[in-house]
Amino acid sequence: MNGQTSHQQPKDRHDDDATLTEFLASLMDYTPTIPDELVEHYLAKSGFQCPDTRLTRLVAVATQKFIADVATDALQQCKARPAVIKDKRDKQQKEKRLILTMEDLSKALREYGVNVKHQEYFADTPSAGLDPASRDE
Amino acid sequence: MSDGGEAEGTRDEQNGSNLRSGDGDYSRAISRVAMAQICEGVGFEGFNESALDSLVDIAIRYVCELGKTTRFYANSAGRTGCNIFDVVQGLEDLGKPLGFTGASEVHTDCVVSSGAIREIKEYVDMADEVPFAQPVPQFPVIRERRMIPSFLQMGETPAFKHVPQWLPAFPDAHTYVRTPVWNERLSDPRTDKIELARQHRKAERSLLNLQQRLVCNGSSVATTSAEPCNGGNGSGVNNNGNLSLEKPLEAEDIGVSRVSIPPKLSSQAQTEKQVSLLETFAPAIEAMKDGLDSGSDGEKTFPEKRDSVFLELKGGKKVFGEPLDLKIRKAVGRTSSWFGHEGEKDDKKRRVEFILRQSLENQQELPQLIDNVVCFSPFLEFGGLVLEELQLEGYESSAMLQPHQNFLDSPLPQMHWCCRPLEPKMVFCEEEEETNMSLWRTQDNFLRHQEQVIKHATWN
Repeated sequence: MNGQTSHQQPKDRHDDDATLTEFLASLMDYTPTIPDELVEHYLAKSGFQCPDTRLTRLVAVATQKFIADVATDALQQCKARPAVIKDKRDKQQKEKRLILTMEDLSKALREYGVNVKHQEYFADTPSAGLDPASRDE
Repeated sequence: MSDGGEAEGTRDEQNGSNLRSGDGDYSRAISRVAMAQICEGVGFEGFNESALDSLVDIAIRYVCELGKTTRFYANSAGRTGCNIFDVVQGLEDLGKPLGFTGASEVHTDCVVSSGAIREIKEYVDMADEVPFAQPVPQFPVIRERRMIPSFLQMGETPAFKHVPQWLPAFPDAHTYVRTPVWNERLSDPRTDKIELARQHRKAERSLLNLQQRLVCNGSSVATTSAEPCNGGNGSGVNNNGNLSLEKPLEAEDIGVSRVSIPPKLSSQAQTEKQVSLLETFAPAIEAMKDGLDSGSDGEKTFPEKRDSVFLELKGGKKVFGEPLDLKIRKAVGRTSSWFGHEGEKDDKKRRVEFILRQSLENQQELPQLIDNVVCFSPFLEFGGLVLEELQLEGYESSAMLQPHQNFLDSPLPQMHWCCRPLEPKMVFCEEEEETNMSLWRTQDNFLRHQEQVIKHATWN
C-alpha cells in the first residue's frame, strides 16, 4: 500500500495541486456570509498568521457550513415538535412560525459536542426547566 | 427575519448579554448579523435573543478554535505562517466529534480529497450565496501613535552625558517648573472712558445713517419735488398749523418746526403736532450729526406744562377714521426717529402716505398736538429703546407692548404707552437750525443715553 501510494505520488501530487488550486479559486468566487474582516479579526486574535485571503475565505466558509448545519438541525427539531393548533382552524394547514429557540439549539448542539444549558430565569411555560424527556411527553 | 424572541415575550438572559457585551462589541454585533442571515438562509423565520447570542458565541469560538489549531499545526511543523494544510488539519480536528467522515484519508498527500474539504466543497456547490448585509470596514482601526520625539529629532542635546540622543526628549521646563502668574494688564480708567465714548459715538452715527437712508426713501415717494435728502423735505405736512399738502419747504424754512417741535413753544406750533414722520427726520438727522460730537450747543427750556405722552400703536381699528399703523402724540417737543428695518422702503412710503392723509383729515381734531413727534418703530426692541429714551428724559412710562413683526401687513395690537413727565426739568438744547433730539438733555443723561444706544444698537 505504501509502495503503491509512493509510486503514484508524483502524479497524484500534481493532480492534487491542480485540484487544490482549482478548489481555492472556486472558493474565491463564493462570498461567504461571514465577512472577511470579522474572520481575520478573530484569526489574528488566536495567532493565525497568513496574508493569503483564500485561507481566510476557507475558514469563513467552514464556519458558515458549521453554523448552517447546526441551524438545520435546530430547524428540524423545531419542525418535529407538534404545533399548537386552535380548534377553529382544524382544517387549516399546520402553520407555525419557525423560531430559533434555545431548546432546539441546545438539542442540536449536543450532537456536535457543545453543551449549552440555558438557565431559566423565569418560567414562561409550565414545562419550563423540566427534564426534556418528561417535557416531550 | 423578525425577532421572534420579542414577539413571543421570551426575552431572557438580559443580564447575560450585559456581561458579554463588553468583550468586542463591534465584532459581536457583526457576528450577530451574519448569524441571523445564515439562520434566515436555512429557513428560520424568527429567533430568540438568547438563542442567537449563543449561536454567535459558538461561531466565534469555532473561528478562534480553528485558528488556534491551525497555528498549532504550523508551529509543530516549525513554521510561523500557516498554510492550507494546516487549515485542513485543523478542520479535521474540529470535525472529529461528528465522526470521521474521511479520517482514513487525512494524511494522504492530497488535501483536497480529505473529508473536510469535500464537505466544504459540497456546501459551496449547494448552498446559496448570501453575502453579508453591509460593508464592513477593516477593523480594529489602528490609530497612529504619536511618539515622543527623540533628542535627535528635537535638535536638542540631552543635559546629561549618560543619556543617549536617540531616547525620547525630556519635557519642556514649563510643564514642571512653576512660575508665578499675575495680571499684567493695567486698567486705565481714562482710556476706558474714552473708548466707551468713542463706541457710543460710532453707534449713534450708524443710527443716523440708517435714519437718513430711510428719510431719503420716504421723501422720494411722498414729495413731488426732487429735493435732496439732506434738505430733507418731507411731504406736505409741515409747519405752523398748516398740515395740508403744500409745497415742500426749502431747507431753510425748516428751522421752524418742520419738525413740529417748536423749540418755539408757540401755541400754534403746538396745534399741528401730527407731523409726518419724514419731517422729523431730516432736520433731526442733520442736527444730530453735527451736534453729536460737539455735545449740546444751545439750550432750550421745556414748556412748563408737559402733557402726557400717548404713544399709540393701533392697527385695524381706525383712529381718526383711518387705520394708522403709527400714531404718536406727545405734548413735549421732541424728535426722535427710530425706524424699523431700512429695507422696508415700500412700507415707509405707505406709512408716510397714511400719516399724510390722516393728518390732513384730522388736523382740527387733534386737541393737543404734540410739539414733537416721537416716531418709533413698532418693533419691540426699538420701542423699548424709545421707552428708555423717554425714561431718560424724565418720563415715567408704563408700556404694554406686544411684539409685532410686520406692522403693515397685519393690524397691530393696540399699544398704549402712557408716559407722564416727572418733572419738567429737562433741558432742551438745540442747534441753530433745527431741533435735535439728542441734544436736549443734560450731560449725564447724554452719557446714559449713549449707553442705552450702545446696548440696543445691534446694527451697524
